[in-house]
Amino acid sequence: MSGALLDLVRMNAPLLMMVIPFGGAALMLLNGSARLAWFIACGAAVAASVVGIDFAARLLSGATPALAIVAPQIHVDGVGAFAGALIGLALVLAVAAIGASLKDAGVREAPVALALVLCGAGSWIGALMAGDLIALIVAVETGWLAAVGLVAVNAVRERAPLNGALRMLSIGSIGTALMLLGAAMIGRASGGLSLEALPLAHISMINLAGAGAALVVLGLAVKIGVAPLHAWAAATLGRGNAMVTFGVGVLGVLGAASVLCRFASYAITAPEIGAAISAALAGLGAVSVVVGSVQAVGARNLQRLAAYAGVSQVGCVLLSVALGSPAGFAAALIQLVGFAAAATAFYGGAAAGRVKSLAMLDGYGQRAPLASAAIATGALSLMGAPLTIGFLGRWRLVEAGVGAGWWWASVLVIVASLAGVFYGGRLIERMYFRRANAAYAGDGGVWRVALGPALIAAIVAIGIGFAPLVLLRAADVASGMLTGVAT
Amino acid sequence: MVGAPAMIEPLLAAAAVALVITGATAALLLTNAVKRVAGIIVAGFGATLALAALGAPDGALVASVAIVFTQAVIGVVVIVRLQESYGAVEAPEIDSSDRNDEAREDEP
Repeated sequence: MSGALLDLVRMNAPLLMMVIPFGGAALMLLNGSARLAWFIACGAAVAASVVGIDFAARLLSGATPALAIVAPQIHVDGVGAFAGALIGLALVLAVAAIGASLKDAGVREAPVALALVLCGAGSWIGALMAGDLIALIVAVETGWLAAVGLVAVNAVRERAPLNGALRMLSIGSIGTALMLLGAAMIGRASGGLSLEALPLAHISMINLAGAGAALVVLGLAVKIGVAPLHAWAAATLGRGNAMVTFGVGVLGVLGAASVLCRFASYAITAPEIGAAISAALAGLGAVSVVVGSVQAVGARNLQRLAAYAGVSQVGCVLLSVALGSPAGFAAALIQLVGFAAAATAFYGGAAAGRVKSLAMLDGYGQRAPLASAAIATGALSLMGAPLTIGFLGRWRLVEAGVGAGWWWASVLVIVASLAGVFYGGRLIERMYFRRANAAYAGDGGVWRVALGPALIAAIVAIGIGFAPLVLLRAADVASGMLTGVAT
Repeated sequence: MVGAPAMIEPLLAAAAVALVITGATAALLLTNAVKRVAGIIVAGFGATLALAALGAPDGALVASVAIVFTQAVIGVVVIVRLQESYGAVEAPEIDSSDRNDEAREDEP
């Protein structure tokens, strides 16, 4: 009986990865207790994560999983399976960390905010399993609007997030209009909206299809917050609470970047438009690395610094994807794992002590050694220090870039790492080599619930740096299934 | 008569692109939040018109309209909350209030 049930779950794994978070969100809305809602959210996140990791592990170990065909709009590929499992894992850590800041959202609003976090994650996973462009855009927009709602709901004690919500809505909605316009162009030029058919489609109007794919990329880049389209990021993340930083700064950015990788894997392998998409991604990636690094160096607010460092990291992801080779996609997937681990450690360490400005970090190493260790590890990984996962991802990008003759991409990676030494080094200097600011000396209350996920992420960031073989192999296998798997 | 649809398609597509550009300009450049949301709706209907003009399936049109409707609803909610919290819907006033709040918080 249990064996049959397990088989049924495994056959419907892609669908369950999406449905479980939405089911959990619906349950949360039925009760008014913040604490009970948090337990339900934890349960839903763990269930979705287990299903996703099991599915990805079976797929990436070389097995051909049997899947139930429940809807033609679902299509599984290597990038989708890998990134779906990653989002599930990030969701578990995010929901666990958020448990400490339920009161920040307001007692009545907390269940709604948690439900929106789950809806957002479910939507991003849905976009990673979407079979056609319209399903992908609808899922992306659901995830984006959940993020806007999350930011707006968390403006109870602090009104600044409302300004961020307005910016997200304005910029993001234009991104969606561009994606819909792009989908219409691709459909007209290639005769269909199916992602699976795109690489092999006979494209009658190459310029129209290329422009359409570029618009879809641009729309997704807005949702990631790629420079110079990241005007919403500082306003939203700069003064948001832990729910906002984890729900938007970690899960939202990770989801949108994963979806962009997935869309690019189909568009870039279409011979007629691949070169145009590669150029667009390379341009966006290069600008994002430079602008993100410069802004992170100049930031005075810790959460804004993390947001800008993330912009730079996502720029490296786009550069990897722009290479268009399996090695490039493998480097992008490793960097996505690196971003998730570093951002979780960084934001978790900051949330544990309610640190927002850099001045509040003075002497933080003495007041909160574990939270400081998490922030330091996140900073080291974001700067690409050796023996961290950040180094591994950037090294793979340099390898793939040099192999393709893209020397300039390697130079940009080094620039990003040098900038990381400046802003990361500044954080470490403040935490460990300065005395506590008198005004903040007593403000070191570390919430263990928030700290646990940050420490786990920090351990992962270092651990994978020491023992990278499993991740490298999984990323290589996933990048070998760019346009889908036989089921 | 046979050539009429072939002539209408590029005209509709051009009108759709013009609507998207107009809406995007309004949503990104205007300072009033209400006008920004109006820009979002214009851009969204431009995108829907593009889908219709370029022969997308009916499901795509329904999805597009649903997206625009949801964006409009959330936009109105955010505007109401902005008015309640800041007493304003003009971006410069809101940004100025945020800067003041932040300066107050950063004071030791």
